[in-house]
Amino acid sequence: MTLVKEAPARPAGQRPAAPAAGRRGRRRENLAGYLFMSPWIAGFLLLTAGPMIASLYYAFTSYNLFTPPQWIGLDNFTTMFQDPRWQKSVEVTLTYVVVATPLKLLLALGVALLLAQKRRGQGLYRAAFYMPSLIGASVSVGFVWRALFSDDAVVDRTQKIFGLDVGGWIGNPDYVIYSLVALSIWQFGAPMVIFLAGLKQVPQELYEAAEVDGAGPLRRFWNITLPMISPVLFFNVLLESIHAFQVFGSAYVVSDTRCGPADATLVYTCYLYQKGFKEAQMGFASAMAWTLVIAVALVTAVLFWSQKKWVHYEEAAK
Amino acid sequence: MQQGRNVERRTILKAAGASLAVAGLGATATACGGGSGSGNGTVTIRYAWWGGEPRTIAIRKTIALFEKKFPKIKVKPEFTDYEAFWEKFQTQASGGNPPDVFQNAVGFLRKYDKRGVLLDLKTQADAGNLSLENFRNGVLANGQVDGKQIAVPVGANTMALVIDLKAFEKAGVEARFGWTWDEYFDALQTIQDKLKIAGDTGYFSIMYLYDLYLRQNGKAFFTDTDLGFTQDELTQWWEDGYKRVRSGLVADPKKVEQVKPKSALSAGLAASEFTWDNFSIRYEGEGESDYGLAPIPTTDGKNTGQYLGSLMLSGFSGTKHPEEVAQFIDFMVHDPGVGEIMGYDRGLLATTEQYEAFKPTDPNNKGVAAYEEEVAAAGVLGRITPHPSGADVIEAAFLRIGGEVAQGKTKPADAAKALFSEAKAAFAG
Repeated sequence: MTLVKEAPARPAGQRPAAPAAGRRGRRRENLAGYLFMSPWIAGFLLLTAGPMIASLYYAFTSYNLFTPPQWIGLDNFTTMFQDPRWQKSVEVTLTYVVVATPLKLLLALGVALLLAQKRRGQGLYRAAFYMPSLIGASVSVGFVWRALFSDDAVVDRTQKIFGLDVGGWIGNPDYVIYSLVALSIWQFGAPMVIFLAGLKQVPQELYEAAEVDGAGPLRRFWNITLPMISPVLFFNVLLESIHAFQVFGSAYVVSDTRCGPADATLVYTCYLYQKGFKEAQMGFASAMAWTLVIAVALVTAVLFWSQKKWVHYEEAAK
Repeated sequence: MQQGRNVERRTILKAAGASLAVAGLGATATACGGGSGSGNGTVTIRYAWWGGEPRTIAIRKTIALFEKKFPKIKVKPEFTDYEAFWEKFQTQASGGNPPDVFQNAVGFLRKYDKRGVLLDLKTQADAGNLSLENFRNGVLANGQVDGKQIAVPVGANTMALVIDLKAFEKAGVEARFGWTWDEYFDALQTIQDKLKIAGDTGYFSIMYLYDLYLRQNGKAFFTDTDLGFTQDELTQWWEDGYKRVRSGLVADPKKVEQVKPKSALSAGLAASEFTWDNFSIRYEGEGESDYGLAPIPTTDGKNTGQYLGSLMLSGFSGTKHPEEVAQFIDFMVHDPGVGEIMGYDRGLLATTEQYEAFKPTDPNNKGVAAYEEEVAAAGVLGRITPHPSGADVIEAAFLRIGGEVAQGKTKPADAAKALFSEAKAAFAG
């Protein structure tokens, strides 16, 4: 209001023009921004949002790709929950998530603690430990894994030294899932780097004070390090479990594309893939996909809810 | 200010141009996907098949031969392995963009006929673009459904027993025509006792072998619309199989799994394996022993249940160039030069022109030819009719569930129940 009153006082045709031009300029800038983003926006709408909405619809239909989808309500979901192979895939996936994620994070944290100390060549160590994360998802590593865990290969011979005579893991429905777990753990580099960054943030004076008070290394870890890096730990737990729920490539390659033997590596996404692309039951596959989305969202929600109890943010401390 | 505005406008124009260019590229890509003709009267057709490297090399040569004789038709090859082929094909066909010509098999004819994907080649033959004459042993019928010719055979193959010749010789056992299942398993027992290796690699998970067994008993795996056996019969088949895994007569499924993609026979885990006779060439390349084709065991001492199956060529019903597609298929199944190049890779050549043009010189191809002649001479060859829609899914399920039985993870009765339940869903799909 005051602006309007003051405006006539200014020499005509000078400052008042500026806000209008600025607004126009901003709008033009916005337009340019959107134009620059347009390939991404188009890609997002066409390749992500569109298919997601479509699959939400297909989840309630019977759809074989050739005849138009037919609305069948919740039938896909009821069939799915009673399907023994679906139940098996849930079991396999949960085993994988529950076993692989904590072990991987433990190893990542352990190695990060070692690497956080200043020593010669630490850059080299970090790079070396990070390396598997870069190549671990590749198909060729899957083949290497098949070789490592076969009869009379490295793992078999090593376990024989300890008197374990179970043979290779790849063909054994009771063990093969643990070869996938091992593959996941081996790629601990990514969470390790995040832990390292977290460890570097812990103020040294806390340790010094604790030392003065006579706290030993374990106590310092438990009472200083762990609370201080808990946000990072939370982030890693969240990311790694979401990741683990979606495991596909390693199961597909290590099992020679069949996610077997005897469905022992039938992870959720592999069953989804078989239903969708081998059996062309796209409605069923879509229902599976949305069930996974909901399940992962629930797990995430529970983790977020639980962080009140164990994640320590610095703002709260001050 | 003035200059600044210009720069901005130019930037915007560039951005817009870039987006348009991207959109334009997309459009071009779509246009090319159709495989349509160009200005000078030449047309391009897409030809897709599955198979190993030797087949791909041979087929590329036959394409070159075709293009030389038909300079106005260009052929664009697409190839991959069996499973990836059908996954990709399904997606392409549902999007209305499958290859114009493609390799096909008996398990997929009704499925894709039902979905309206296959070109009726009878009409093309009537129009004079393709000859349906000179097919050997009546194999032309393999590609017929409801009076339509939706596929044309390029070869004829049959299920066979591949044996490790050295192992059979060392154990002093012999495979002979008309031997019974009991005699077969006795022979395997002798091999197991003397050589300490398994006799077979897992016969009871192979759908096409169970089909032969059923045919020996007057049935078949499939009727026109359903399964041709009962749940109890399958339970019995798998119970017998599992018993033989436990006794070591059939190779340990854990070890069979590990040597994949190599076969358990060439890995030396067992002395025999049932498979299609034209696949027998793989064993020489993979394994260290000598391998040969042996007769299928029988129930009554005579009938093996065998029939001549076929790999075939089909056309896409929506192709823009049905005439050229028919000419191409005609050339591929009748031209003697093509026969000489392909040999028995896809089975014994289906037409007399090609069969006479190719004289096998290597022991493997000679063996395949002798084998099929022997089977034909025995007068035991039956007929195969195209499988019902969903057969491909059931074949995969049979292999998988049979594997679970072998591993001791599923009881035969539960396994048979699971197969019937999955089959029901597959037929409905």
